[in-house]
Amino acid sequence: MDFIKANKLSNSKLCLQESICHHLRYSLGKEWKDRNVRDLFLALTLSLRERLLGKMLATEARHQKAGAKRLYYLSMEFLIGRSLGNNMYNLEIFDVCKEALQEMGVDIEEIREQETDAGLGNGGLGRLAACFMDSLATLKMPGYGYGIHYEYGLFRQEIDNGYQKEKPDYWLPNAVPLQIKRADEACIIPMYGRIEHITDLAGHDNPMWMDWKVVIGIPYDIPVVGYGGETVNYLRLFAAQPSSKFDIEIFNKGDYLRAMEQMIESEKISKILYPSDMLETGRELRLMQEYFLTACSLKDIVRRYLKDHKNFDQFSGKVAIQLNDTHPSLAVVELMRILVDENEVPWEKAWKITQQTMAYTNHTLLSEALEKWPVSLMEYLLPRHLQLIYEINQRLLKEVASIWPDDVNRLKRMSLIEEGEVKQVRMAHLAIAGSHSVNGVSALHTELVKNSLVPDFYERWPERFNNKTNGITPRRWLLKANPLLSDLLKQTIGDRWVTDLDQLRSLESYAKDISFQKEFLRIKQANKCRLQKIIFETARVNVSPDTLFDIQAKRIHEYKRQLLNVMHIIDEYLCLIEDGVEPVVPKTYIFAGKAAPGYWAAKQIIKLINNVGKIINRDDRVKDMIKVVFIPDYRVSLAEKIIPAADLSEQISTAGTEASGTGNMKFALNGAITIGTLDGANIEIMEEVGKDNIYIFGLKTKKIQEINRLKSYRPLDYYHRHKGIRRVMDALQGDRFCPEEPGLFKWIFRYILDQGDSYFHLADFMSYKKAHAKAGKEYKNSSLWAQKAILNVARMGKFSSDRAVSQYAREIWNIKPVQED
Amino acid sequence: MQIESSKIDDVLVVMPLEKQIDASSAVDFKEKMLRWINDGNNKIVLNLSQVDFVDSSGLGAILSNLKRLGTDGDLYVCCIKEAVMNLFKLTRMNRILKIFSSQDEAVKVLAASNIKG
Repeated sequence: MDFIKANKLSNSKLCLQESICHHLRYSLGKEWKDRNVRDLFLALTLSLRERLLGKMLATEARHQKAGAKRLYYLSMEFLIGRSLGNNMYNLEIFDVCKEALQEMGVDIEEIREQETDAGLGNGGLGRLAACFMDSLATLKMPGYGYGIHYEYGLFRQEIDNGYQKEKPDYWLPNAVPLQIKRADEACIIPMYGRIEHITDLAGHDNPMWMDWKVVIGIPYDIPVVGYGGETVNYLRLFAAQPSSKFDIEIFNKGDYLRAMEQMIESEKISKILYPSDMLETGRELRLMQEYFLTACSLKDIVRRYLKDHKNFDQFSGKVAIQLNDTHPSLAVVELMRILVDENEVPWEKAWKITQQTMAYTNHTLLSEALEKWPVSLMEYLLPRHLQLIYEINQRLLKEVASIWPDDVNRLKRMSLIEEGEVKQVRMAHLAIAGSHSVNGVSALHTELVKNSLVPDFYERWPERFNNKTNGITPRRWLLKANPLLSDLLKQTIGDRWVTDLDQLRSLESYAKDISFQKEFLRIKQANKCRLQKIIFETARVNVSPDTLFDIQAKRIHEYKRQLLNVMHIIDEYLCLIEDGVEPVVPKTYIFAGKAAPGYWAAKQIIKLINNVGKIINRDDRVKDMIKVVFIPDYRVSLAEKIIPAADLSEQISTAGTEASGTGNMKFALNGAITIGTLDGANIEIMEEVGKDNIYIFGLKTKKIQEINRLKSYRPLDYYHRHKGIRRVMDALQGDRFCPEEPGLFKWIFRYILDQGDSYFHLADFMSYKKAHAKAGKEYKNSSLWAQKAILNVARMGKFSSDRAVSQYAREIWNIKPVQED
Repeated sequence: MQIESSKIDDVLVVMPLEKQIDASSAVDFKEKMLRWINDGNNKIVLNLSQVDFVDSSGLGAILSNLKRLGTDGDLYVCCIKEAVMNLFKLTRMNRILKIFSSQDEAVKVLAASNIKG
């Protein structure tokens, strides 16, 4: 059987060149003389693909041989970005590929630019999932991502006259051809139907799920290589396909069009990624997507488990399932259905298995973002699941009532069903009840989950609640995104930090070293020059890399307070042109981020940023002391270029609103200093880098909670008390920044002063301004600034996703690395 | 739909010869079965050895036949392939039907039952 033995491909320059030529000729059908850049991109990717697949098969064989417990990370979003470069870095063949191509007369950078981002996520939650995939593989853990194979990722953002315009992101044609279609492992997923109660053979009531329709889930696997290339796991994304069986009746009746419509209807399930503002609007398609993901995943997971086991006794010992937010929390019910209905496992035992298998990560404290689904919709789409939810709820409430008798309000608060005009299923309660672990994503956030969000559940099961502060992968966010800094670090302290980020600590001793500082600043300048070009190409604004680059790049949302940033810019501008007070240093304020298409206020903020930029950038009196730019279409590949260029990182959410943030970590790891509130992971960043190396401002969470409780916040008082604030607010009320559309920003004046300023812009303004003044002053002292920035890099070890994933593995999943012999 | 039928003692054995009992064939299947029941066959063994897939209409048709037999008769199922069994389990249909791995066994048990043929 020698012929089926793994054929190990060499990574020598010559072999890579041969592979590229082979694929150009035999996969793409092109002669060398007829090649174009796109062909070379595809040929290179296919050359890597075969190397990845060989290792993926070997990894799977190792996992099987070891009988390893596997972790399945269920997430509606995986914000992968580009894969080609990341794969080359993680296989440690970037340099050899570069040389191989160079000899062939090809610029590797030109090839890399051919790749479209896989934008299968909205922001932090999806990117976290992608970082965790990288860390799982790097740590040699048997961990797999399960998601949806969306045809359209998050929309592309264009800016037209300052307004955001959304364009469809049909990413597949330009994606790297890495995925493997596994048609033979398709899953049959039932939906809709009704329940018929019939007595079973033993004389018990037997609720039967009848008249369902079927959708087919086709898995597509994308290899995920860990650093060093030993472990290649995969991300399994399911695409919906109509069942050929399902439409026959309509076809037979001769109604071709209706049959085709039904087919399209089923395919719709994996068509689009919902933007974040539309998740909670009770859309049937979104609920179908969530069910589709969980049903396909569970079917696949159980099938794999049953290959090696005859019953479910060892299920939770072999399978761990992490629910990335509540979106996949139907997994709790689906597993119960599989165990109880399909496999006749007694309820109590099934419930125990389910709880021991599931773990839930909470990602938000905003009550409006907590998922709820109308009972009527659930009943229509998933009648059997709703019955099971009622059963789970009844048992939960019975248990709660036995511990706290006569506490009706507690029962109401904890129920999985929210009573009211529209009865709704509370998905977070379902996830908490059905999991053995509930974690927040930063220390502060976890405390707020326990004590403010779901205190009744915490009181019932304190042992379930734990913190896992988020992390980012150093491979993408330093090694790949910032090759110049990576090289400097390697030359200075070696390369162990790539897989052990705590090693960066040894950089501390270089923080005051003048020649190291010089080199560090030279690299920052080079990264700023790279961004300068991008800004000119995309926003048509000329900025100077000699100015302080102050960057806020993240989703546009009221709680993230891009508005506070703009208000401060306006204040600085008015101080300059009306009072003659120049900023301490010339600054370039850079914004990037998408607003959800239906989020009016967020889209207005984008318009405001662009209008303020237009006025300031063209005002000769400013003399280039202030520039404001909005870079369109923020996405992973753009973030990789923006972040290394930042001097100052804006992390300014209202305290108590940002669960963790991961942008804050990416910026600091690349040597930006944070200006931020004591919110989310900012607090832990401050603890790590030291108070002197971060600019903290604003109200703390407890104070805000107290103010809210006492209803004592009066933004108008701030307006009257501070001339600067008054001037900014008046400018927004007037038409200074919207001469062509008078009255455009009046709503902001009313929103802040009449409607309570729920995100405390005015309360934090003066403190924010003071922090900015301090940052500006210190930036002038380049040696001091470099020292602080270097210390930020040196002390970011904690924020590696390797640390986060190791903690999850040890404390929640109980999975272990599986190494090569 | 093509269905093969044979009588062994007082038991009617029916074997659908098509690979699928789905929306296109379920009505036909149900009606043929009903005709047999109306003709006085109240002990029926449904041999599904040739069937790879039964959709919800097919399962509905089987359920309807079972209901039609009521307490005066019985419908046993035998030789179910794994994929079809999974669909029975999905609907919990396996809990209301006596299922046997071989036709002989199903016929033997049904023939010996108290139901009057």
